[in-house]
Amino acid sequence: MTSKTFSQGVYLPHYKKFSEDKSITVISLPEEVVIPLHQHTGAPCHAVVKVGDTVKTGQKIGESAAFVSAFIHASANGTVKAIEPRPYFNGLLVESVVISVNPEQEEPRWNEKDVTELSRDEIKAAIKEAGIVGMGGAAFPTHVKLSPPKPIDAIIINGCECEPFLTCDHRMMVEMTDSLVEGAKLIARAVEAPHIIFGVEANKPDAIQAIGAKIAGDSNIEIAVLDVKYPQGSEKQLIKAAMNLEVPPGKLPFDVGVIVNNVATAIAVYEACRYQKPLYERVLTFSGDGAAKPGNVKVRIGTPISHVIDQCGGLPSQVGKVVLGGPMTGWAQSRLDVPVVKGTSGILIFTSSMVDDYGHMDCVRCGKCVEHCPMYLYPNYIGVYAETRRYPMAVEWGAMDCFECGICVYVCPSNRPIVQFVRDTKKHVAARSSK
Amino acid sequence: MSMSSELNLSVSTSPHLRSKENVPNAMRDVAVSLLPVSAVSIYWFGLNALFLIVLCMATALLTEVVFRKMLNRRSKRFDGSSLVTGLLIALCFTVNTSWWTAVIATVIGVGIAKELMGGIGWNLFNPALFGRVSVVIFAPLLLNEVNIAFKPLGFSLSTVDVVTQATPLALLKYGSGLPSLSSLFLSFPGGALGETSALALIAGGAYLIYRKHIRWQTPVSIIATVFVIALLLDSGRLGIAAPLYHIFSGGVLLGAIFMATDWVTSPITTKGKIIFGVSVGILIMVFRLFLAPVEGTAFSILIMNAFVPYIDRATKRPRFGEVAATAKMAPGVSQPVQRSV
Repeated sequence: MTSKTFSQGVYLPHYKKFSEDKSITVISLPEEVVIPLHQHTGAPCHAVVKVGDTVKTGQKIGESAAFVSAFIHASANGTVKAIEPRPYFNGLLVESVVISVNPEQEEPRWNEKDVTELSRDEIKAAIKEAGIVGMGGAAFPTHVKLSPPKPIDAIIINGCECEPFLTCDHRMMVEMTDSLVEGAKLIARAVEAPHIIFGVEANKPDAIQAIGAKIAGDSNIEIAVLDVKYPQGSEKQLIKAAMNLEVPPGKLPFDVGVIVNNVATAIAVYEACRYQKPLYERVLTFSGDGAAKPGNVKVRIGTPISHVIDQCGGLPSQVGKVVLGGPMTGWAQSRLDVPVVKGTSGILIFTSSMVDDYGHMDCVRCGKCVEHCPMYLYPNYIGVYAETRRYPMAVEWGAMDCFECGICVYVCPSNRPIVQFVRDTKKHVAARSSK
Repeated sequence: MSMSSELNLSVSTSPHLRSKENVPNAMRDVAVSLLPVSAVSIYWFGLNALFLIVLCMATALLTEVVFRKMLNRRSKRFDGSSLVTGLLIALCFTVNTSWWTAVIATVIGVGIAKELMGGIGWNLFNPALFGRVSVVIFAPLLLNEVNIAFKPLGFSLSTVDVVTQATPLALLKYGSGLPSLSSLFLSFPGGALGETSALALIAGGAYLIYRKHIRWQTPVSIIATVFVIALLLDSGRLGIAAPLYHIFSGGVLLGAIFMATDWVTSPITTKGKIIFGVSVGILIMVFRLFLAPVEGTAFSILIMNAFVPYIDRATKRPRFGEVAATAKMAPGVSQPVQRSV
């Protein structure tokens, strides 16, 4: 099997063995769920419930009149205990609805709908109502993504899962193939795209086989088997690998007639259209070299990560880092009461042996970052200029085109925190342009 | 909720994975790659060669420590680069070099060309070559005085009776009596310690390429340029063997493989490496054919070191998607849309 790919990038250790064969299990409900009203790119929601209200699973509790926003739903039956700022995974406080969960839960009942009859506007309305966002991590509202100003030639379903450790997309492709393919068809119909491409890295043969069997005979759907290389799952790199199209700097995939959606998003779209089920739970990977019981777990949105960790065997004695998301782009946590949100793809437990604490040195111009940067930038110069606060020069060498995949830091023999230098530059540029 | 304070979790920005690359490991690999040629030089020149190598490495280390202390530089991790610089300086000298010449070259190379320029990463010129050529430049001014000054110490390598032989390079320029190509390639005791075996240098270079510390473009473009120019302009006397004599004698291989590939002082891009390599090759042949055959390779590389920032800027590649975007804007040019199957 030949696999397609993009230029540059890096071959990372996979670390998927911990959890790739573990079927999805369900995490029990915690005593309280903390549901942030701003889990997405765009405008925050405001609460439409009051303290003391009883809520049911799937009930809308936050909404916004803004187009670029995503509704928020209760993830359990219970009582609203508080509406207040609570810690969020990025280290800030975010206005959240705290629900104390009823010990008695009833299974939510759904009206099944025939999805074949839905019009494109009905599909988009169902997606908007369900509060679906991109579930690969970016959390961009899906109904906005599916309203492009240009005609769309193809949609790509992103099943690359190129971050090490993470396997939840893999398991969903294997275990929920029907919903996935139906969801992909609904997305394609919503934007009237004639083609669907599933992009899957070659290290998931069972997923490739499952999807292949499901789409056999359909000439409009194909599966692109991709090289296992990071960051294959980044939109621009995926489009390049699967379709040999390059999205120009500062442009979005729809500019080349493509829309990319994550596997979990496609499944959520299917469930929203078929059952009117809002996005109040998601599958994520619990893993890491310090994870007691690694696996893939379905978790209600708002569940504190400490609860998930407890359910998966607790923390090791030598815990070094707890990371939300993948190891290359995820967020290290300082506290464990932060909740799982729509964009949380993983909870990784690293022992202290995985933690680097030796600081960084000056750039020795080895060129490895330049050799591997998937955006063809010059991380060496960006880092040197940003470190010395010459931000316009950092921009000249490409800082604004960086999507912070982390490869430059990974390969750097001087251990330079180049991604942080890029963030400093972007922050500086944003501050200057808003003046 | 109180767990967090007891846990003392480590927090840092992404990414949370690191490769095993680090500067000390790379420097160790460079030192390993220089072992074969060092061994050949010790085979020919014995303990004198070993003494010169140890002397330069020890001086380099000491110079680094003293200069960092003097400059009050925030403590840097030991990276091993000064030891490699010391080794390279030793390999640039002939065995009958007086010990204080080697010491001065090393102090200038590590102290001035590297530490005073800001330490590893900030130097514009290759420290080893800078140190080596500085004693060439200072020689007419200093030689007698220093010789006299050091005489009372009663110790100089030049007083030791060792095999001394005209370098193949001098033979190439002025006369006959050239060694056979095969002995030049395998091992020949003429010239500097690092010029005693082409094979040993090539083996070291292959190891560095295999370990991904250097890219092949730089040495290959230098060697190819030397080959072509020698073939065109110097095949009168030696015929088709001329290019090989030029490559296997003198400092071409040592410079092309170990000096021109120095991370800090060579271009970042592939295109830049080739421009740099071809220019170095041209300069080497200018020195050899038209100027004095003394440290031509070293001067060539140092001259091109000065152009590296400009080469980097001039060879800046387009960002991802930029080429496609420009092609699209050009009138009458349509982008072929290739579909996957």
